[in-house]
Amino acid sequence: MNLIHLLLGLVIILSSLGVILLKKPVHSCLSFLLTLITLAALYLQLSAPFISVMQVLVYAGAILVIFMFVIVLFQDAYKQIADFKAESSSWLIFVAASLFVIVLALLGSHLQNISYPQNTPIGFGTVESLGKTLYLDFFFPFEAVGVLFLVALIGAVYIGKKDV
Amino acid sequence: MFTIGIIGVLTKRNALILFLSIELMLNSANLLFVAFARYWGNSIGLAWVFFVLVLAAAEAAVGLAILINAFRSREVVDIDQYNSLRG
Repeated sequence: MNLIHLLLGLVIILSSLGVILLKKPVHSCLSFLLTLITLAALYLQLSAPFISVMQVLVYAGAILVIFMFVIVLFQDAYKQIADFKAESSSWLIFVAASLFVIVLALLGSHLQNISYPQNTPIGFGTVESLGKTLYLDFFFPFEAVGVLFLVALIGAVYIGKKDV
Repeated sequence: MFTIGIIGVLTKRNALILFLSIELMLNSANLLFVAFARYWGNSIGLAWVFFVLVLAAAEAAVGLAILINAFRSREVVDIDQYNSLRG
């Protein structure tokens, strides 16, 4: 169990490094796809099958397809920034790396004596329990998210029009 | 993973990779939500993962629409050249 978690985590970290390190946007996108699928497998390991399915459907199915579509649209535009390098990237990387060390230190000090819970509560992660939580405890946020989604849809269509 | 996303946002100059980095950060938050929901054994964390998924989808749709429009008018994807809003 623990070995599988470690392996999946390693693949996730490597592929998400690939997202920002690979040169071509298509390769970055494919690396991101690997990250998403490995995350879905990890969710399955964490006994959340519905979230895992949603991850594959929404992220790998919808969002990544949009990204691929945009990449195909802009194919010729990437030649002009093929060997581009930000001038301030070194100290920004230093800032992010120090943040990583801080987070790791905080997590490490807290997770030292944490024990993995062996017994999953009955019905955890099923569609039924998640739906009950969504519709009973989170009813207003759920409706708000629906409105947000509608607004985003209309906004995207409007922005995407030829003459804004 | 969150840090990798931050590095991507801060250092990359390709607008598309920037969006991918934002998605990376959202995904790392999702992973934490699922892990803690499993740890505490309730499904509130899973509900939040659901919300983050919707948010990511909306953000990707709107962001890429803006990107397409900006590209149509400026013909570049390098975000350092989108500085006409600078005071």
